[in-house]
Amino acid sequence: MSECIVITSGKGGVGKTTTTANLGVALAQQGHTVAVVDADIGLRNLDVILGLENRIVYDLVHVIEGECRLKQGLIKDKRLDGLSLLPAAQTRDKNAVTPDQMRKLVAELKEHFDYVLVDCPAGIEQGFKNAVAGADKAIIVTTPEVSAIRDADRIIGMVEAAELPEPQLIINRFRAKMVQSGDMMNKEDILEILAIPLLGVVPDHEDIIVSANRGVPVAFDDESLVGEAYRRIGRRLGGEPDVPLLDLTVDDGLWTTIKRWMGLAPAREVAR
Amino acid sequence: MRDLFNRFFGGPKTVGKSKEEAKQRLKFLLIHDQVDLTPAQLDTMKAEILEVIAKYVEIDQDGTEFKLEKEEDCIALVSSIPVRRVVERPASPPPAGVTPAPA
Ligand SMILES: Nc1ncnc2c1ncn2[C@@H]1O[C@H](COP(=O)(O)OP(=O)(O)OP(=O)(O)O)[C@@H](O)[C@H]1O
Ligand SMILES: [Mg+2]
Repeated sequence: MSECIVITSGKGGVGKTTTTANLGVALAQQGHTVAVVDADIGLRNLDVILGLENRIVYDLVHVIEGECRLKQGLIKDKRLDGLSLLPAAQTRDKNAVTPDQMRKLVAELKEHFDYVLVDCPAGIEQGFKNAVAGADKAIIVTTPEVSAIRDADRIIGMVEAAELPEPQLIINRFRAKMVQSGDMMNKEDILEILAIPLLGVVPDHEDIIVSANRGVPVAFDDESLVGEAYRRIGRRLGGEPDVPLLDLTVDDGLWTTIKRWMGLAPAREVAR
Repeated sequence: MRDLFNRFFGGPKTVGKSKEEAKQRLKFLLIHDQVDLTPAQLDTMKAEILEVIAKYVEIDQDGTEFKLEKEEDCIALVSSIPVRRVVERPASPPPAGVTPAPA
């Protein structure tokens, strides 16, 4: 049984593309077959995050318009069995595709893959409608900021209006230190406002920038904390919902740890 | 040892030159975006062009180079195709209506 999941947020730049790429990698690492679809027509990005930009010949619009077969449009990731990318068109706009066409495309993809992950463009217009059209469920990405959470709330409403089941939440760019000092909303605060189940928390981390520079998603990096966050989310998504979230306890260094031993510093606040 | 040091004191895990990679990838990407021809499409075009050229001259397939380059105010398709020698071929009849020049 295969499933199409749309990754959406409302607000731009909160990490939809990064999330799509890394969850694609994480699910494929578990042995699932995965197609990641860039639905951000006109602003293609998932290809560069995955480092597959040099291999594009055809794109989603070519496939939809019948200029090539689906198989020709898909780019297989040579680093990882089971992962394929369907890139967006770069020189067309969102109106080049209709929700019905997307539905048909997703249905065909689902015949070949266990998971179809759709990277949704920012906004609530045509691009969003196309991206959710074929989806069975949605993942909402937000950051712990007022504007992002407000937009997430709006998008949750739109996901429900599209008759998808209750979406799951990924909190991205989480900074344990700021949470600890009371300058960033914690998980509970955000969940209280958005009231949807939590799928995962991803720390704000420079590994993301290095991995984007290189075109190698951080989920490939066994030593990366953020990579581990994505691998866990991938497992929770891929049939192991009870895998615990990454412990994002503030890593406040040796000195505070020593002080804590001596009773001079407060006990750790676990970013639950 | 350095790793251990970094682990304790939170230094960079990989001493990176990833910004160079980023810059190279971007330059390449932007040129290809401008002419709306992906590297893979350029490869296909190259294969087709070489096929035509190979009808007339013998070329060194491995030594050929095709790339898009940014000139001052345009993008140029720059190619270098080493020719080995002219292929022996039967002289084609002159097109109709053209009288061959006397030898
Ligand atoms: N966990 C993180 N830590 C650090 N930087 C991050 C993290 N997640 C995302 N970023 C950075 O945030 C920026 C936006 O990420 P991304 O492109 O994935 O967002 P997006 O939601 O797809 O954006 P858009 O709405 O434009 O499609 C990128 O520069 C990315 O490197
Ligand atoms: Mg994006």
